[in-house]
Amino acid sequence: MPKPNIQIDDIVREMTEEEYAELLASGWRETTDETPSPD
Amino acid sequence: MAVKTFTSEVLTSADTNTYLANSGLVYVTSATIGSAVSSVTLNSCFNSTYDAYKIVIAGGTSSTDANLALKLGASATGYYASKLLLVYATNGTFFVCDNNAASWTQASFAIGAGTGLDMNVDLQNPFLAKYTYMSGYLNAATLGGPQSGVHQVATSYSSITITPSAGTLTGGTVTVYGYRLG
Repeated sequence: MPKPNIQIDDIVREMTEEEYAELLASGWRETTDETPSPD
Repeated sequence: MAVKTFTSEVLTSADTNTYLANSGLVYVTSATIGSAVSSVTLNSCFNSTYDAYKIVIAGGTSSTDANLALKLGASATGYYASKLLLVYATNGTFFVCDNNAASWTQASFAIGAGTGLDMNVDLQNPFLAKYTYMSGYLNAATLGGPQSGVHQVATSYSSITITPSAGTLTGGTVTVYGYRLG
């Protein structure tokens, strides 16, 4: 399964394993059904 | 610069250049958001020319509803913010804080289903070796309100990273403006 893309200035590429791990560690999720709220 | 009112004159190059050079809000840089990205970094968006900046995101779409986090450089600590969010339909309010967070976790919203991205944030001091202060408004489809914050690390930064709390962003533009000094 491909990892999400990262953009640096105008360059878009697939995240490295390290970047993806950092993204997941930040609490990022692939999808959410929730309306953005202050939770 | 004294304000000059033009009526029916042909503008001279001198007048035109003077007004261009003395505009208050000056474009610094921008990036068009690519396809399905989960992180957007703008390098070299802060410099010694300006002390205060405006960051605007408009257009585009997100794959799902999400908060948009804003980070200075690689700094992952010391972000504080307070927000008062008002729900349009119910008049209900939320008070939200970042307390020494790893980013300004909710600098704006990305609402899914193609309703567009949004960010309108002012920063003071990001390039100076001082705390960076943040202010702006959060605007979403169902709620909105003011926010203010600080990054309590006295370091100079020249880049920002915007990350959705979920999903990906596609399209739209991140634009950074500087407030002209003097």
